[in-house]
Amino acid sequence: MSEYTLSSQAYAKAILHSAKYPWAAVHGLFLGEKNGSKFRLTDAVPLAHNWTQLTPMFDVALQQVQQYASSKNLVIAGYYVAYENPDTTQLSASGALFAKSILAINPEAAAFVVDAKRFKAREDGRPALVPFVYAGEQWKEQPKAFGDAKGQFVLENNQALTTARILVEERAEIGIFDFDDHLDDVSLDWLQNNVLNERIRTA
Amino acid sequence: MSSLALLAEIRQSSERRPYEVLKLAEPLLNSSNQLTSATDDAWLVYEQVFLSALDEGQIDLAKALLHILHSRFPSSQRVKRLYGLVNEAAGHPDESHKLYSEVVDKDPTNVLALKRIIALLKAEGKMALAANELVGYLDTHGNDFEAWLELSHIYLGLHMYRQAAFCLEEVILQQPANHYFHLCYAEINYSMGLLDIALKEYLRVIELSTDNVRGFYGVKLTADRIIELLSSSTRSGSGGGKSRRDAQMSFSLDNVPQMPVLEKLSQLATERLVATYSANKAASAPTKALEDWLKQ
Repeated sequence: MSEYTLSSQAYAKAILHSAKYPWAAVHGLFLGEKNGSKFRLTDAVPLAHNWTQLTPMFDVALQQVQQYASSKNLVIAGYYVAYENPDTTQLSASGALFAKSILAINPEAAAFVVDAKRFKAREDGRPALVPFVYAGEQWKEQPKAFGDAKGQFVLENNQALTTARILVEERAEIGIFDFDDHLDDVSLDWLQNNVLNERIRTA
Repeated sequence: MSSLALLAEIRQSSERRPYEVLKLAEPLLNSSNQLTSATDDAWLVYEQVFLSALDEGQIDLAKALLHILHSRFPSSQRVKRLYGLVNEAAGHPDESHKLYSEVVDKDPTNVLALKRIIALLKAEGKMALAANELVGYLDTHGNDFEAWLELSHIYLGLHMYRQAAFCLEEVILQQPANHYFHLCYAEINYSMGLLDIALKEYLRVIELSTDNVRGFYGVKLTADRIIELLSSSTRSGSGGGKSRRDAQMSFSLDNVPQMPVLEKLSQLATERLVATYSANKAASAPTKALEDWLKQ
């Protein structure tokens, strides 16, 4: 069974991406270090906030992220998505397909749906992400995830939750740029978002 | 530029920037003399700040502003619609529906109230119903291209790509020179595997707008993919009499430019992408990513 550890930076960036576009669906990828079947999700690369059911630019971005990841000795460890409707915490048909396309690159990749309501409710020390694991030809929700220090999905440390909260409160999301933004203005570094990384580090 | 002027600019562009609107309006609202003494703008500003307050979840502020508007325009249908909005934000959709229906009953041509009823359905997650209502609306208001766009958005959420494409066709009929719509149409067609149409539309995008990076990525992606399919179809010897239609492809290879043209298009896209990244001083990581992508 694969194991996934979620770092502050990865979590914060996924949350900030969804916070930047509250009226839209957004999606992106998690990058991580691989150690056998253990993945440490260290970073998130935001992809799109527009036409998130359409494939061409996702295809381009996926190819570029693959090359970027290997240049940093990382793998694509997951797919994350936040839907327009905060009640939606299941993978949509297109979400499931996008996540499945990651499996072709990393058969142990997991999928995550952002749970905006859980973030708002400041619920019981768990991140606002619902993980899905591919088994038996479908994505299966892991509802008990992040609840157990020895479980399949764990937070690297509880600081991750506080950090994300601080950043959302100070509206740090204006500093995150996805591939869509990059296509409008190529001077934006969607792969790294270095300035934001620094802010996350010091939060 | 003064706060009022900036607020007017945001109203003009219909951008959704609630946090900034609230920040700009804060000093104006605190000293109410400033606002009412400043021309007719005052009431537009109240409405604008009301909408931003809703977006930011500041329901009490929204209610206060609504009270001011209602005092000035007590029997206004426009203000009534705003009551509907605040009820939506406060989680009382039935109350909103009642208000909007009353507005429509009084004036069946009130487009804003009609649309709000559809938006209500969307907010409740009733996408198929919202689509139906919107189709009904478009029967009478077929020249409302924004409504066609909204419908395409709903269809995409329902993964009804063909229907979404049809909506974009209606939009393009009305707004043929807007590259953004050709771009959306190209991407919907690519997603359906209709690479012949996707290529044509991506070419239209780069024709209609200068150095459109997304357009060039689309041209290269599509041209290269078609070249790949053409090459493999020739290799498997599926020429010779029958039409070159691969069972896995949704489009016909007879419908695309000749190989030399495709190769030139791919080359053009490559050159323009490299030139644009360089001219705009793209950062090292994305530039390297582009270079690697172009090589593969």
